[in-house]
Amino acid sequence: MKLATALVAALVLAALPSITSSNYIIGVGISALIFTVAAAALNLVYGFAGLLSFAQLGFWGIGGYAAALTVMTFGGSFWQGILWAALLNGAIALLVGYPMLRTNRHAFVISTLTFALLVTLVARDWVSLTRGPLGIPNLPPPHAFGLRFDTPAKFYWLVWVFTVTTISFLYALCSSRIGRTLVAIKQNEPLTRAQGISPMPYKLAAFALSAAITGAAGGVYCFNLRIIDPTFLDFYYMQTFLIIVIIGGAGSFWAVIASGMALSALPEVLRFSDDLRMIIYGVILVAAMFVMPAGVAGWLHERRLASMRAALR
Amino acid sequence: MAIDASYLLQLMLNGLALGLLYALIAVGLSLIFGVMEIINFAHGELLMLGAFAMTFALPVMGLLYWPALAAAVVVAMLAGLVIYEILLARLRPDEFERSILITLGLSIILIHTVQYFFTATPRMVDTQYGFAGIEIGSIRLTWTRVIGAAVAIVAFAGLYLTLRFTQFGRSMRAIAQNREAALMVGIRPRTVARNAMILATGLCGLAGAALAPIQLVTPYMGQFLIFKAFALVIIGGLGSIPGAVAAAVALGLLESWIGGFFNAAWQEGAVFVIMIVVLMVRPDGLFKRGGMRVG
Amino acid sequence: MTAILSVAGLRKSYAGVHALDGVTFEVEGGSITGLIGPNGSGKSTAIDCISGFQRLDAGTVTLAGSDVTGRPAHRIARAGLMRTFQTVRVYDRLSLADNLAIAAQQFDPATWADEFLRTRRYRQAVEASERRARELVELIGLERYYGAEAGILSYGQKKLVALAAALMPHPKIVVLDEPVAGVNPSRIREIEVALQQLNEAGETFLIVEHNVEFITTLCHRVIVLEQGRKLTEGTAAEIHTDPRVLEAYLGMTPEMVEAEMRGAA
Repeated sequence: MKLATALVAALVLAALPSITSSNYIIGVGISALIFTVAAAALNLVYGFAGLLSFAQLGFWGIGGYAAALTVMTFGGSFWQGILWAALLNGAIALLVGYPMLRTNRHAFVISTLTFALLVTLVARDWVSLTRGPLGIPNLPPPHAFGLRFDTPAKFYWLVWVFTVTTISFLYALCSSRIGRTLVAIKQNEPLTRAQGISPMPYKLAAFALSAAITGAAGGVYCFNLRIIDPTFLDFYYMQTFLIIVIIGGAGSFWAVIASGMALSALPEVLRFSDDLRMIIYGVILVAAMFVMPAGVAGWLHERRLASMRAALR
Repeated sequence: MAIDASYLLQLMLNGLALGLLYALIAVGLSLIFGVMEIINFAHGELLMLGAFAMTFALPVMGLLYWPALAAAVVVAMLAGLVIYEILLARLRPDEFERSILITLGLSIILIHTVQYFFTATPRMVDTQYGFAGIEIGSIRLTWTRVIGAAVAIVAFAGLYLTLRFTQFGRSMRAIAQNREAALMVGIRPRTVARNAMILATGLCGLAGAALAPIQLVTPYMGQFLIFKAFALVIIGGLGSIPGAVAAAVALGLLESWIGGFFNAAWQEGAVFVIMIVVLMVRPDGLFKRGGMRVG
Repeated sequence: MTAILSVAGLRKSYAGVHALDGVTFEVEGGSITGLIGPNGSGKSTAIDCISGFQRLDAGTVTLAGSDVTGRPAHRIARAGLMRTFQTVRVYDRLSLADNLAIAAQQFDPATWADEFLRTRRYRQAVEASERRARELVELIGLERYYGAEAGILSYGQKKLVALAAALMPHPKIVVLDEPVAGVNPSRIREIEVALQQLNEAGETFLIVEHNVEFITTLCHRVIVLEQGRKLTEGTAAEIHTDPRVLEAYLGMTPEMVEAEMRGAA
């Protein structure tokens, strides 16, 4: 049922450029799709594995820079750039993830945060590679099979394919036994150990896969912007991903996808002032944590459980 | 450039002053973590509030340093009280992730509210001391730095005495060591947590006010510093106050030396590299966590 | 019969206090063995050390002939020792079916790739695990909750789920940490019957419990710990009349017990 709904929604979204010729709306659609992918990747680590990772922002940035540099400095294609973005991020995530995951959950959160900051500093200060605050402008549009994705509508379709592919992959993963095991580890780690499951490989795999997908999404997004500079690592992106996951309901796969599509439009609606928009984001975050800490999905679930309990009584 | 002893000493003194201010921030984080087991993400914004309070108080007070400093600390403490009563008092001690997200939201709200009203333009702060300083040989330190360091040292002495010898300090340590036992002997966790929050924000406001004449004041100044402070409490061991102080002072010195000889990029990145290395070697930080130790 | 689990010279101390001070015992295959002792005698520490949840200072743990001393908990579980916990642990947000399936998944041949691609090997493993789960759910009498979330169950029912989960992968030995503590007295009898049935079907149990009556009706052999040492060991009947056990438990000598009983009569 959910799957059928998702399929219909995906097909409707595919038709967006045929429905409207407004580049503005198509641009919003592109952002919405990419942010949804990044939020779904965050949902894998935070919602499923229970690891609140701020490193996603760092991976998003590394992905963007890796893709841009592959094309501009190393002469590769867009596709190679995205591949490198994913692979590099996966490798870095394995490397830094291991010491971070060995600590307690408090230290994990903070160390992922400092990782994100470190990436920002590198982007800003390693001028010989990243050109520092100037950034890397004029990223060329991707092309394949003699087709150039140079208009927003064409780029939109490319992003649509990317989104459907990654979301399908994530769904296959989260709905498999691996996803269920991640939830089990989040809920009761000692019990999983008593049942012969070693939590570390699962957590590390979730962390690395999520990093790779976030990186690929970052790579695609910077080619949408056509430029990458240190503002690509603005904390604003992390906040957006977090709000999408939290409002949708951490750990609910489709709820996060739906909230990603719905909330990505929000920044566009709130275009009147950057500061006011951020204040509203902050208020939404704080309010959500008090009113429905498990998101819309969690709230619905609680209601279902309550009626179940009542029925059993 | 000739590396002579006085240059090294100059770097060391600058580093010490910087490290002590880092320590004021990190200690507050540790204190809050020790009592409530939460991380206050908005801690840096309290520092920023302290600094902004200083920029507004100074002209009102006719550039007099000390009254403005006091006013800034009071503002930060009041903010801490309000934040505790409205947001943090509702959290249970095991809701770590929730506390992070709530205080993250708060931090966003504070930064952008300040930016909305006062713009992002960096502010210079002038005090009665101006750029005057003390000179010993070829070493020169501005009064504002010397006073900042001295104030930090006095604050630590006061904190130590408070934790060690007062009823309030003992209750805080008791809760940090064993919550259940503390509840049984009649310690009220809410009161203690509120006081700890006020104390921590006071220290943070003090750091902000002391930094204001040394650095440029912007709405984002807290963010850069707080990320360093986070790394510091991890390196020192979460909840360990001496650990936080030691790590902070060491970092101040290190940054100053690195800044004196290498590219500034290394100076900023050092703390994160150190943190990753420390986590690899000792996952619990250098000063192992376990209750709140004061000495 | 041979020993499935044998521990020798277990030592563990915390900050100078000896929680375990040279404990040695064996559990025979197909038996129900009880481990009792007053509070602080080291029972919980002993099973935490055996199951790998705490590090031993000294001693060896041998499980079905292979040395598992110092291995991490998940490896000891894979070697065939499943345990439950004193304060009941189940996955509250997962269904009963999932709770049981997870307990067995580490023991079937499906790899991550099989799981992700839903291969034949994976589907067969899932079918086998589901058959076993249905069997056990029937045994503990919670069939009607099979698809429901474990969080809605009562404390006693969760204890039963934890027991069933421990049995899922056909372990060599099941270690139960206070299986009836906090359980409604009327349900204790049901647990007794279930354990007896399972034992007759060949399962081996090591049970840590405070409820002496439960232990004496169920166990073939009882080991008594006191202050980190093994006080004595024997059949339930022997333990029941051992003066040292009475003293350790009640702080009374047999004469005092007798005097008291005379007084009551």
